[in-house]
Amino acid sequence: MAVTDIAVVGYAQTPSSRRARESEVQLLVPIVTEALQRSGLDRREVGFTCAGSCDYLTGGPFAFVSNLEAAGAWPPISESHVEMDGAWALYEAWVRLQHGDIDTALVFGSGKSSPSIPAEMWAQQLDPYYLAPLGVDPASLAGIQARALLDAGKATERDFARVVVRNRRNAKDNPNAQVAGDFSVDELLAAPYVRAPLRKHDLPPVSDGAVAVVLARGDRARALCERPAWIRGLDHRIEVHQPGMRDLTTSASTTLAARKAGYDGGPLDVIELSSTFSPQELILRDALGIDADSNVNPSGGPLAANPVMATGLVRIVEVAQRIVEGTASRGLAHATGGQVLQHNLVCLMEGD
Amino acid sequence: MSASTSKQNLVPKENLVPKETLVMEHLVSLTYSEELTPVLDRYVDALIDGRIVGHKCPSCGRVYVPGKGYCPICVVPTTAADEIEVSDHGTLTGFTIITPVAYYGQTETEPFVYASVLLDGSDSNLGGQEIVGVPHDQIRSGMRVRAVWKAKTDRSAEGVSNRGWGSVSSVIDAFEPSGEPDMDRAKYEEHIF
Repeated sequence: MAVTDIAVVGYAQTPSSRRARESEVQLLVPIVTEALQRSGLDRREVGFTCAGSCDYLTGGPFAFVSNLEAAGAWPPISESHVEMDGAWALYEAWVRLQHGDIDTALVFGSGKSSPSIPAEMWAQQLDPYYLAPLGVDPASLAGIQARALLDAGKATERDFARVVVRNRRNAKDNPNAQVAGDFSVDELLAAPYVRAPLRKHDLPPVSDGAVAVVLARGDRARALCERPAWIRGLDHRIEVHQPGMRDLTTSASTTLAARKAGYDGGPLDVIELSSTFSPQELILRDALGIDADSNVNPSGGPLAANPVMATGLVRIVEVAQRIVEGTASRGLAHATGGQVLQHNLVCLMEGD
Repeated sequence: MSASTSKQNLVPKENLVPKETLVMEHLVSLTYSEELTPVLDRYVDALIDGRIVGHKCPSCGRVYVPGKGYCPICVVPTTAADEIEVSDHGTLTGFTIITPVAYYGQTETEPFVYASVLLDGSDSNLGGQEIVGVPHDQIRSGMRVRAVWKAKTDRSAEGVSNRGWGSVSSVIDAFEPSGEPDMDRAKYEEHIF
């Protein structure tokens, strides 16, 4: 049984931007410092550090090594890296904390999508025999997923547009969002397709950004934070790599991760989903059994800001922040990896 | 690359098929484009002007060339206010003599040197520098070197990128022996890269 007294006690994130001129590590230095300062923890006291980023995205082998400079790695520290969203770095740190010999951890996720051509680069994430040589990009796969949803009669294009309208409206209150504003469903539906049946607004923006989190356990968490955001459950599940071999209109791995994380269907004050393409919000709501009137993505979600490799960890921060600040008591954050919701993580958090 | 003999040994004999059905060529080309970071923008302007400029950490005093915009030891930001000029003379702290293998994209055909140079006044090495004017078998750690600058009209920002360790190749062709006596190892052993 997992330990349930590990909490988020500090956090910081950069605003999401179309193109940050600073290097990835320059984006990280101020927010890692801010997250530590917010928790009151000296960086030399951190028991374990774990980062999530993608060298393909940065365009340099071992780019993740220089990111570590934001944590101050001299004298040597105990650290690890995942070539995954920062949410999985948090997962590794959470597992590490359960060993019981340390009581604090620093986690960060960062990504600059601006230097690469995302459609060209992400095709390399697919199998090297059939799909990568075709250059199938994430938006095309999401288009296939959206089409499957329409064909199954589970949603309409109007439903997709409604998701966008709500997320962009929510993003107006998020200073870190990149896309925000008031739009009407009809206005959005008048736009041309970019990957039928998806329109540009159904796709996330191309973003640069970074996020950092400080974790602590037990009494240390209570000492560092007046109202820690306790991680009551954390689980991730993965599905088959080949997108053609699964039902893209459901997310069995999300359902399973939520159950294993201990989500019992009870009330949630805040839900943050890594619904990178608008139809995915409908799939994830369905997978989690979340009502239409639930408070989903009050930040605007990835449709408003999508700093890839940080996007999932940002979801955890958006939930944790509301718990720490006392505007929410219980929340659920979701992160995703791979193409069209292949790999999913669910983090259930509560305040005291 | 063709299937190696050792790989073929892993396949039972009856399953062996002609090589051409096993091999699929899939060359991947990925494009990245970005502006230099503001810190490197200033660095390259100075370089073209003939000055090598780094950042001096306001906390520990270490000098990084090029500047990083922060000190990785102290984790404090550094800015244009922390800029400091260093010498174009330095010490070769380490090197590799590379015998090129004909992999895809390799243009070198003869053995060449990759050296790390610690410029006087800097605490960080310039990596991957070419060394000229000395036979390869006489290159040694501690050797004193100086920059061979390109003519001012031939200098460009092309060789400086946000990746890697601050190449100067579009401004400085190589480093050559300066004729000064070798540096005492104790003076650079904390700076080997």
